[in-house]
Amino acid sequence: MERLLLRNIDRENSNSIETYLSNGGYLSLRKALREMSPGDVIEEVKRSGLRGRGGAGFPTGMKWEFAAADIKEPKFFVCNADEGEPCTFKDRLIIEKDPHALIEGMLIGAYATGCRYGYIYLRGEYPVGRKILERAIGEAYDKGFLGENILGTEFSFDLYIHSGAGAYICGEETALINSLEGRRGEPRIKPPFPVNAGYLWKPTVVNNVETLANIPLIIERGGDWYASIGSPDCPGPKLYPVSGKVKRPGVYELPMGTPLSEIIYEHAGGIVGDRKLKAVFPGGASSSVLTSEEIDVPMDFPSLAKAGTMLGSGAVMVLDETDCIVRASLRLIKFFRHESCGKCTPCREGTDWLVRIVSRIEEGLGSEDDLDTILDISSVMENSFCGLGMAAHNPVVSSVRKFKDEFLKHIKLGRCPFRRS
Amino acid sequence: MTIEEFRREIRSLKEKGIYPSNKSYMLPSLWIAEKNFPAITKEIMRVISEELSVPLVEVEEAATFYAMYHTKPKGKYVIRVCTNLSCMLNGGEEILKEICNLLKVKPGETTPDGLFTVEEYECMGLCDGAPAVTVNEDRYLKVKPSDLPEILKKYGWKGENGKTSP
Ligand SMILES: NC(=O)C1=CN([C@@H]2O[C@H](COP(=O)(O)OP(=O)(O)OC[C@H]3O[C@@H](n4cnc5c(N)ncnc54)[C@H](O)[C@@H]3O)[C@@H](O)[C@H]2O)C=CC1
Ligand SMILES: Cc1cc2nc3c(=O)[nH]c(=O)nc-3n(C[C@H](O)[C@H](O)[C@H](O)COP(=O)(O)O)c2cc1C
Ligand code: SF4
Ligand code: FES
Repeated sequence: MERLLLRNIDRENSNSIETYLSNGGYLSLRKALREMSPGDVIEEVKRSGLRGRGGAGFPTGMKWEFAAADIKEPKFFVCNADEGEPCTFKDRLIIEKDPHALIEGMLIGAYATGCRYGYIYLRGEYPVGRKILERAIGEAYDKGFLGENILGTEFSFDLYIHSGAGAYICGEETALINSLEGRRGEPRIKPPFPVNAGYLWKPTVVNNVETLANIPLIIERGGDWYASIGSPDCPGPKLYPVSGKVKRPGVYELPMGTPLSEIIYEHAGGIVGDRKLKAVFPGGASSSVLTSEEIDVPMDFPSLAKAGTMLGSGAVMVLDETDCIVRASLRLIKFFRHESCGKCTPCREGTDWLVRIVSRIEEGLGSEDDLDTILDISSVMENSFCGLGMAAHNPVVSSVRKFKDEFLKHIKLGRCPFRRS
Repeated sequence: MTIEEFRREIRSLKEKGIYPSNKSYMLPSLWIAEKNFPAITKEIMRVISEELSVPLVEVEEAATFYAMYHTKPKGKYVIRVCTNLSCMLNGGEEILKEICNLLKVKPGETTPDGLFTVEEYECMGLCDGAPAVTVNEDRYLKVKPSDLPEILKKYGWKGENGKTSP
């Protein structure tokens, strides 16, 4: 496929405004401001069928329409650059290599929805990205793409970076908003959704980095063109970050709906040492695991949901036959225990219980009853307050269901069968 | 940085007019403290509380919530070793063990000379370079245990016996 989202990244100084401008950069903003009304922009984005790349897949055009319809002022546009999902590093690529695509996408979104101020909520672990974004924002001000009366129009927009400080939960949009307000990053109840009551309870659009990087393309080439790429009910190019036991870990841009097997074997070069593939988490740490028989699935929102898992951030994490699934799921649930904000009981206690039980099994001290307890705890965790707790048990429960033999082997042997020493 | 300089930094930050609400300057203020002091102490929190007109307890809440803020003294260099899934599958746990061996500390601890703090860390988004280690803002990717002495020496590590070996 022609590179669309990654069209600039191999060029020299790809993150400078000169490089961006020389490849047609900011022409979409010009087109939107000069030739289109805010309503036209929203129509075009709706026609494209673009769905949010932060993981939930909500239609972007519809979100913008809700925000545009709210009359409270001022409105805020926030880019979610918290990228905390384990093994997800796709947004980092855009931030570091093509920051102007993100800024241009934000500008067009802010124009469409009537937002006057914008923030990029950047995870604290991306200091390199922060410097690059700061420079890019400075360049955009210098050229008159940010600030008052942009390109001589009535539209004004100021953009700032807000650094997070190491908290996965702040990727959840309402926790992010609390963090932007200077509080602990605890989620708020939804609804009201941020489009109506976000930052300082004013209308706030929150969009993921990759979502925004699609916008200049859609305005440049049109929603109909965009809708013809990839899966019909969730179109467009998609960035898949692939890591773990593959020969060529990295970010691959492919049409939405590319089969998982193709991503692993053709693009990421297959399994290290040509070993056998054992298991794949197809959409980050919160997704349910797939076995080697299940990897022909198209990588898009509806297909993965049908397969009992989810696309999430699109982060493909690959395990080979020498890796222990019990240990892998233990590491992931430990992550969620560490990151649970502690606000609600099912998540705070559930993640702790799961860590203790899976640790016990991994050490060879578990019993068969433990497996039933895991399933019980998981059904309680479904009632958590936010998406973190609702999904945290997925890697463990799916591993127990699909690799039950391996769990039983730990229990029967009284040790991990994969430990070398 | 002195406490008075810190106070002035917060004031000039506020003058930039980035946020329409005072309280939103919380994380940026804590970042200034994190970068310029060994620890975010009660005294520092009190300055933030005064300058932003936010109750002290809310500053404390924020300072202790986020993993990157240190309310206990940290070393000059914070070494973060990722052991999340992709790094674990590629040897991240061995790297952590080896660093702790070399520096004779446990994860979370600081060397007695105050040079290094070692932290077992969650995914830093560098998984295509697993196992990944960062030292303050520098990144090290696809790290092997044998690379570690060289890396540590760049930051003033004197070798296992306290003297730079050849
Ligand atoms: N990229 C990453 O690093 C991570 C991504 N995730 C993903 O996050 C997802 C969950 O995210 P949530 O925000 O909790 O999902 P959600 O379904 O509540 O919301 C998705 C988006 O649509 C908006 N929305 C939904 N219904 C709306 C309505 N009726 N009116 C206006 N706006 C509406 C929300 O405000 C939000 O922006 C998971 O599927 C997971 O894959 C989770 C962890 C990390
Ligand atoms: C625990 C949790 C963490 C999240 N982390 C992120 C994140 O790091 N980046 C992101 O874009 N969305 C993240 N999300 C999803 C956001 O809440 C929100 O759906 C997204 O930013 C909306 O943008 P989009 O519509 O462009 O995808 C997270 C959700 C949950 C429940
Ligand atoms: S589900 Fe977990 S992260 Fe979400 S509010 Fe509850 S405790 Fe906090
Ligand atoms: S898993 Fe180690 S950096 Fe992502």
